[in-house]
Amino acid sequence: MKIVAVTACPTGIAHTYMAAAQLEKTAKKLGHTIKVETQGAMGIENELSQGDVDAADAVIFATDIAIEKEERFARARTILVPVQAALKDPEAIFAQLK
Amino acid sequence: MPLEYEFDCPLPNGIHARPASALEEVVRHFTSEVTLINRRTQRSANGKSILAIIGTDVRAGDSCLITVSGSDEREAMVVLSTFLRDKFPHCDASLAPTKAEAAAPLSPCLSHAGATIHRGRSVVPGIGSGRGVRFGAFSIPPSLPREGVANTQMEWHRLNQALHKLNTAYDNRLKQARGIEAELVKVHQSIARDVDFQDSLQAAVIRRQHTAAGAIEAAEAQFSKMLAASGNEMLRERAMDVQDVCLQLLHEMYGDAAKVVGVKLTSDAVIVAESLTPGQFLSLDRKYFKGLVLASASSTSHTVILARSFNIPTLAGVPELATIRFGQHEIVVDADAGALVTDLTDTARRYYVLESRRIIGHRARLKLLSARAATTKDGQRIEIAANISTASEAAGAFDSGAEGIGLFRTEMLFLDRSTPPDETEQFDSYAAVITAAAGRPVVIRTFDVGGDKPLAYLNLPKEENPFLGRRAVRIYPEFETLFRTQIRALVRASAGGKLSVMIPMIATVEEARWVKRIVAEEQQKCEAEKNAFDPAMLVGAMIEVPAAALAVEAFSRELDFFSIGSNDLLQYFMAADRMESELMTLLNPLQPAFLRLLKLIADAARSHNKEISLCGEMGGQVRYLPLLAGMGLNKISAAAPAVAGLKAELARLNQMACQQLLTAAISCATADEVSALLEQFSTQAGVPLVETELVLLDPDATSKEEVIKQGVDRLFIMGRTESSQAVEEAIWRREATYSTGFGHGFAIPHCQTNAVRFNSLVLMKLKNPVAWNSLDGQPVRVVILLGIRAAQAGTAHMQVLARLARKIMDEEFRAELERETDPARLCAVLQKIF
Repeated sequence: MKIVAVTACPTGIAHTYMAAAQLEKTAKKLGHTIKVETQGAMGIENELSQGDVDAADAVIFATDIAIEKEERFARARTILVPVQAALKDPEAIFAQLK
Repeated sequence: MPLEYEFDCPLPNGIHARPASALEEVVRHFTSEVTLINRRTQRSANGKSILAIIGTDVRAGDSCLITVSGSDEREAMVVLSTFLRDKFPHCDASLAPTKAEAAAPLSPCLSHAGATIHRGRSVVPGIGSGRGVRFGAFSIPPSLPREGVANTQMEWHRLNQALHKLNTAYDNRLKQARGIEAELVKVHQSIARDVDFQDSLQAAVIRRQHTAAGAIEAAEAQFSKMLAASGNEMLRERAMDVQDVCLQLLHEMYGDAAKVVGVKLTSDAVIVAESLTPGQFLSLDRKYFKGLVLASASSTSHTVILARSFNIPTLAGVPELATIRFGQHEIVVDADAGALVTDLTDTARRYYVLESRRIIGHRARLKLLSARAATTKDGQRIEIAANISTASEAAGAFDSGAEGIGLFRTEMLFLDRSTPPDETEQFDSYAAVITAAAGRPVVIRTFDVGGDKPLAYLNLPKEENPFLGRRAVRIYPEFETLFRTQIRALVRASAGGKLSVMIPMIATVEEARWVKRIVAEEQQKCEAEKNAFDPAMLVGAMIEVPAAALAVEAFSRELDFFSIGSNDLLQYFMAADRMESELMTLLNPLQPAFLRLLKLIADAARSHNKEISLCGEMGGQVRYLPLLAGMGLNKISAAAPAVAGLKAELARLNQMACQQLLTAAISCATADEVSALLEQFSTQAGVPLVETELVLLDPDATSKEEVIKQGVDRLFIMGRTESSQAVEEAIWRREATYSTGFGHGFAIPHCQTNAVRFNSLVLMKLKNPVAWNSLDGQPVRVVILLGIRAAQAGTAHMQVLARLARKIMDEEFRAELERETDPARLCAVLQKIF
């Protein structure tokens, strides 16, 4: 599957990036392609374009706070999980996409 | 018909002891009867009794009436009305009204420890522990009879004699007492001499047949009650002084028979008392006196001032103190956190062991830093000196690492007294500082009085705008004798070491020439009288008037050195009163125009080979140091506690980089832009995110609370935060959203707060894993604690942290951190990803 994701945690220092790494690692292991945008203390990085979103089969939000530029995802198939879920059991998130 | 004068009390703290004694001082010289009436309380008082004046409970704004009647009433009224109009409003200028503060949150390490915690207000910081010992209230031994005197005249005669003896005893003590103790004796003497106090004693004996003991007990009750009932905290404190005088009088009268069985300390003790008189305080063995808890006390009470001077941690305002039970057990006065801790548990004891390690560790590091000479990383020397206000502070300043005294404000010698200090008193004070300096340079500033610091004996009229008025060098010609006495004391003191004399508020070259002439004349007199002095003594000026700032070249022909008084210079330059809290944005020393002015002064002084220093508040803040270092100042003088921190910061700085920073700051448009520039500079000033001292192997921790405390304490010890409490609180606030234990035995507690001075990482490896409420339910072995400054988006450190956060999801990286046991190599492992 072709997946895009956004991660964002309260302070934007640690968990945003930890979750991103975890989602990337798990996608690779399960044979999916993924692009993860981080919204942390660095601002938006690895930003998803409208094209990225439109081409994706699904969007994962691993977020604990409201995200910026949410309008990009208006028409997409999305699932929302807490950041912790991405750290604890990322494979379960991907299982939900099936 | 008596003469009348009406006024509204202009004093923010009301008429407490100090204004009352100022009023009494004026009234006492007339034979007329003077009465003060407070219309609000309907109480009236004999104007010749300080206690009675205080008892009228005059608060700010109260409408008052003064009546004068007697043979010299006209003259008395003229003097009195002038006093009330011109001087009275200023007789209490240095005391700001007290403010209530909310207690800061406690460390969860303590609040989760299971002990009982009673919050209070810290009045003397520090932590002390020992057996809790209650100290009783004022009492007279029951064995002494109170009533039934047959020969009342005889009894009064004996009591009156005891009063005289007490007075003589005070006189004798005054000859030896210094500082706070002398102040205390003076207050006590004024109570013993008070006409109302004496009248009350006499009436009790003559009219009511009381014994002396009965009369003293009654007088104590009457005046203590009157003062305690006052709405003013400062007045309530004076009740303690009345009690002390009564106890001392009782002792004069009955000798040892009057001794209440006191408290004798035999092991470390914390004294718990509703109140404690200064005399009772001094009676306690200070070897075992480790802490003090009072139900009520303000920072102006004599007992608290004594506690401060003897460094006894003191807590006040603990509610329902009388009901707190502690038996014979150990209790802790934690005046740093504002808590009295009873029912100590092992965990609470461990917390205080950790606290003492934190404090000792911090002190040891400051000692290390303060011992080295102050230079920048690239070897540029900048002397870091200390500002002092009394000679007794000098030794402590040098202990803190000061390389000289950059500013000795001599005003304290002149303030709060009825006559100026004579030459000998001044000489002793200056010589004491020079002796303490042991060859290091000492800069003594001649008295900066007048304006906001009025002196009763100068008789200067009240001014509309005291900061722009007759103060400092401007009044020297008018009070030439006073000034010559000071110069003479300084010239003589110069024989003992490296002394420089500094003149405040210089605006014109004529003023400088006048001062130089006086100095030269006093030196000639000294020479003629064969008194030793240093002919090479330097004479310099404060640069605090903008006119002087722009005339450094002209002044260079008259004077030897300059020191920027940044507080006054800023207020005069920005035309903003520094007492006006609403104008704080104008009074920001980061105003680009002000920085430009400072650079102009420094450049001008340097180009004429004159030493240039800065001795205002700006110098004491490490945040501004890069800018000051960039100006090429020769010296920075600040409060003693700031010295070690300034030296440490200076050692991190590169002079060239600071110069570039200053150039950039000066071309900024706003203070906010300068602030942002400074923030950016500080985080890039070569302070690494992690260093070997921030790697803790096997910290002594048995819980998550203790791990976090020790990580934060390490930041404090290494000078990366000034407030462990604030950082700890921020970490726990983050921890409250969800645990940072992300599994695999790792946790990453973190916070974003400007309570950390530099972005920092502490790595802790625990031999005994602790529970962290982790995602996988497993205890934690490796802790990476992050303290990050707010508003750091886009900086290099944030990129590093993002990489680190990704990296710790990598099993191999975690294994490497678990394997390594050497702090330096662990640092290297972390730095690999940077």
